[in-house]
Amino acid sequence: MPDRTTPPTPLTYQILLALADADRHGYGIIKEIEERAAAAAPSTGALYLALQRMEGNGLIADAPAPAGEESDDSRRRYYRITPHGRSVAEEESRRLSDLVEAARSKSLLAPGR
Amino acid sequence: MIRRVLAALLRLAPRSFRSRHAEEFLAVHDARRRTGGGGVGFAVREIVGTVWMVARLRLGRADTTTTTTTTGGAGPMETLGQDLRFAVRSLLRNPGFAFTAVVVLALGIGANTAIFSAANAFLFRPLPFAESDRLVSLYETNPEFGWQHANAAPANVLDWAEQVDAFESVAMYSSFLNEATWIGADGEPRLFRVSSVTGNFFDVLGVPAALGRSFRDDETWSPDDRVVVLSHGLWTREFGADPGVVGRTIDFGTTRSEVVGVMPEGFTFPTEETDLWTPWGWDRANRDAVWFRRAHWVLPVARLSAGATPAEADAQLQVVVERLSREYPGTNRVMGAGLMPMRRFLTRDVRAPLGVLLGAVAVLLLLACVNVANLVLVRGADRGREVALRYALGSGRWRVVRLMLTESFVLAGIGGALGLGLGWAGVLLIARLDRLGIDGATGVALDGRVVVFVLAATLLSGVLFGLLPALGTSGRRSHEALKAGGRGASGGGARSGLVRLMVGAEVALALLLVVGAGLMVRSFWLLRDVDPGFATQGTLAVTFQVPSSRYEERNDVLAFYDRLLEALEARPDIEAAGTVGQLPLNGTSWSSSFQAEGWPPDRVGFEILHRRADAGYFEALEIPLIRGRMFGPLDGPEAPLVVLINETFAAEHFPGEDPVGQRIAYDRTAAQNPDDSNWYEVVGIVADQHQVAPGRPPRPEVFENRNQDWGRRNWIVVRTGGDPLEVVPTVRAVLAELDPLIPVSDVRPLRQVWRGSMAREEFILTLLGVFGVVALLLAAVGVYGVTAQAARARTHEIGIRMALGAAAPSVVALMVRQALYVVGLGLLVGLGASVAASRVLSGFLFGIEPTDPGTLMAVVALLGGVAAVACYVPARRATAVDPVRSLRAE
Repeated sequence: MPDRTTPPTPLTYQILLALADADRHGYGIIKEIEERAAAAAPSTGALYLALQRMEGNGLIADAPAPAGEESDDSRRRYYRITPHGRSVAEEESRRLSDLVEAARSKSLLAPGR
Repeated sequence: MIRRVLAALLRLAPRSFRSRHAEEFLAVHDARRRTGGGGVGFAVREIVGTVWMVARLRLGRADTTTTTTTTGGAGPMETLGQDLRFAVRSLLRNPGFAFTAVVVLALGIGANTAIFSAANAFLFRPLPFAESDRLVSLYETNPEFGWQHANAAPANVLDWAEQVDAFESVAMYSSFLNEATWIGADGEPRLFRVSSVTGNFFDVLGVPAALGRSFRDDETWSPDDRVVVLSHGLWTREFGADPGVVGRTIDFGTTRSEVVGVMPEGFTFPTEETDLWTPWGWDRANRDAVWFRRAHWVLPVARLSAGATPAEADAQLQVVVERLSREYPGTNRVMGAGLMPMRRFLTRDVRAPLGVLLGAVAVLLLLACVNVANLVLVRGADRGREVALRYALGSGRWRVVRLMLTESFVLAGIGGALGLGLGWAGVLLIARLDRLGIDGATGVALDGRVVVFVLAATLLSGVLFGLLPALGTSGRRSHEALKAGGRGASGGGARSGLVRLMVGAEVALALLLVVGAGLMVRSFWLLRDVDPGFATQGTLAVTFQVPSSRYEERNDVLAFYDRLLEALEARPDIEAAGTVGQLPLNGTSWSSSFQAEGWPPDRVGFEILHRRADAGYFEALEIPLIRGRMFGPLDGPEAPLVVLINETFAAEHFPGEDPVGQRIAYDRTAAQNPDDSNWYEVVGIVADQHQVAPGRPPRPEVFENRNQDWGRRNWIVVRTGGDPLEVVPTVRAVLAELDPLIPVSDVRPLRQVWRGSMAREEFILTLLGVFGVVALLLAAVGVYGVTAQAARARTHEIGIRMALGAAAPSVVALMVRQALYVVGLGLLVGLGASVAASRVLSGFLFGIEPTDPGTLMAVVALLGGVAAVACYVPARRATAVDPVRSLRAE
């Protein structure tokens, strides 16, 4: 079992976030990350390294292609967040949110922003 | 391109990953590239990311716990960035070390860049001709004359071309430039340099004209229709790049030639000075003339038939050569022929020196790497504690090694970038490589291949100097380092052994280079002491052509020279003036065999050199008459033919006889048919001049009288009391007074001719000298660094010794002795290597052997002395510290 006391890496968290609302293929995940984060998306190598590792850790799993996208490129593999992955993402979200609260209470962040 | 790299990398990934993700991986990459990821940054990130991923998958780390402290859980780029930041910070903490390492590497890589650029241009880059690997240069050989790669006789070449099936076609050219005078629109005479070629010359090379046409095959044989093709340079310089020039007729005074084409920019074969090309325009009757088979002056180049190999062509050529030797025994009895790839042929004179220089810079780079490795190691001794701390905090060995390697690559990267700059500066210097005497088919420049070479050299040096110390230092896992109070009592046994080994290696490598430099210096001194046989100081030579348009007859030309010499000698600043067909040490004119009157048929003198001169030449260059008499006023054009010979001629061909008064003819069968030959009476013997090179003995030479064997092109030689360049205006003025329309084609002080003849040696000497000095410096830095570190590590011990009453000099002596032991070993090894390696220099040395004991001893003493100073200084400094303070330093 993964060690749940250590937080996921930023990239792991980004991928979990991207899969939280929908199953996506690799390129979809990258697009999602690119749209959300102003920062540059990970290299393809970094993404697949993370995906491989997350599968091994049970954070994500293969998913069937969604209906209507059958005709799409058969090489596309879809990923789905597992319940375990969801709970790791939730936990990390809480941790980050707590951090943001702390930052706010120390006036590092204007309230409401 | 990137995709192919990624695909190749993916093949290195574990099978399980490949079968699951490989195709998809590439599809994602493609999609990203399509949607805007086209930049260099993206490409680099993709490649680095993939390398990282494959490495991690292979090392079996990807499946382990999501986050570990070894990488901080960051992505590859972040980790790399982190490592880089760490490396830069760490280097900045120790700027002296970083600066030294970068400078050392920049020197090593810079020298390699410069020399490799030259090697690249001459040895590796293909010639700028179509399918240049199918081009072979042909040459004649003659064991009797000692010819190896001689110019060929045109009649022989024509037979080869027709009878060797493996030759698709054979063209001929000449490295000799003719000159043509053209009066420009402004009335000023211009001198164009003309290369004569066969009509198929451009077709064989496979280079079409940029404008108009090149020559037709039959134009080789059309003496009456003169056509020319302009070089791009001349076309832009003189004709304003006007396309209308094609079809125009240029009036060269004696001939009028139609411009039929312009060659593309950058086509400068056979010489960079070539302004225009013209077909030889031989008379077809020449084909059967004896002189066409006897005079060897053309350079043939053949295009091999499709599929033919040089070996096949050579085999067929030998058959033809054999046949010709039977058919024409008079000229071809022992005349052989050979071929080699054209590029090899053109660069045959530079291969050896470039090889030596490449070897030297490789040694220099190795030396630089060892030096930096040593610096890193010595520094590592001070970092033992840091490394131990990292282990204690849970870093893996690989992580520590990686950190240190990153530092090495940062150093190598900066060193490489600076080295590229240094190398570029070096290339600009080496661009003066015409000193090595190279034809114009190549150019030294930085190109992609050079940049790749620099990158490879940089990476290699990073690994070379980074890996050994990284492994050496990281091996110290023990807690001892933590306990040892940071500095470590003596720097650790294994590592200090490694340090000593490297200092020894440095000294040995440096010795190798300094011996090379020392030999060249010594040889060059000897070479400069050789008396060339003519006055090099205060003498000047000027050459021009006396045009047949205004001086039709022999007597017109001779009268012009007489008037010119008279006018020159009337000037107060000119002491003597004369004419000569060719300057000594400036290329030779022609050679022949000869017989003396009364010799038996089988007695023949081979390979005597010929020059025409007058009495003024010998006077102006202070060449003494040894015996007999000089040319005199009575030796006119119609008088009996007379010649002078040099001392070597007399000694070699008339041993124990008096040649003065004998008659000779330039024909190996003259004695049998005395009536068919021109007989020349030897009237005097003059002192030898070196004709070919100061390092080569003078050859037998005969001087014809310029009034009898006359020509339109001569060198005017003058002697002045002072600086020869100061009389250049005088000479020009005198010439212009007589004929303002004759352009001077060359002005050369004899001093420059003499220096120029040693340019090759001087060039190698200069480069090896620079490498030698750098090597000496590097060795000094290495020895100094190691002794200084040892002294630092032993501050405590020294303090105790001195507190117990040891005198400072004895402590210094102890430390110097220990350091010099290693230096001595290095010197021994280096000496052995030098004796083995310096043989490669033997072709460039004059007057000494590559194992010259004096030079070897001097170099050993020099290097030993420098090393002694380099260990004395830090040792002295260590003992100069107050013992109490050094004890407290802990």
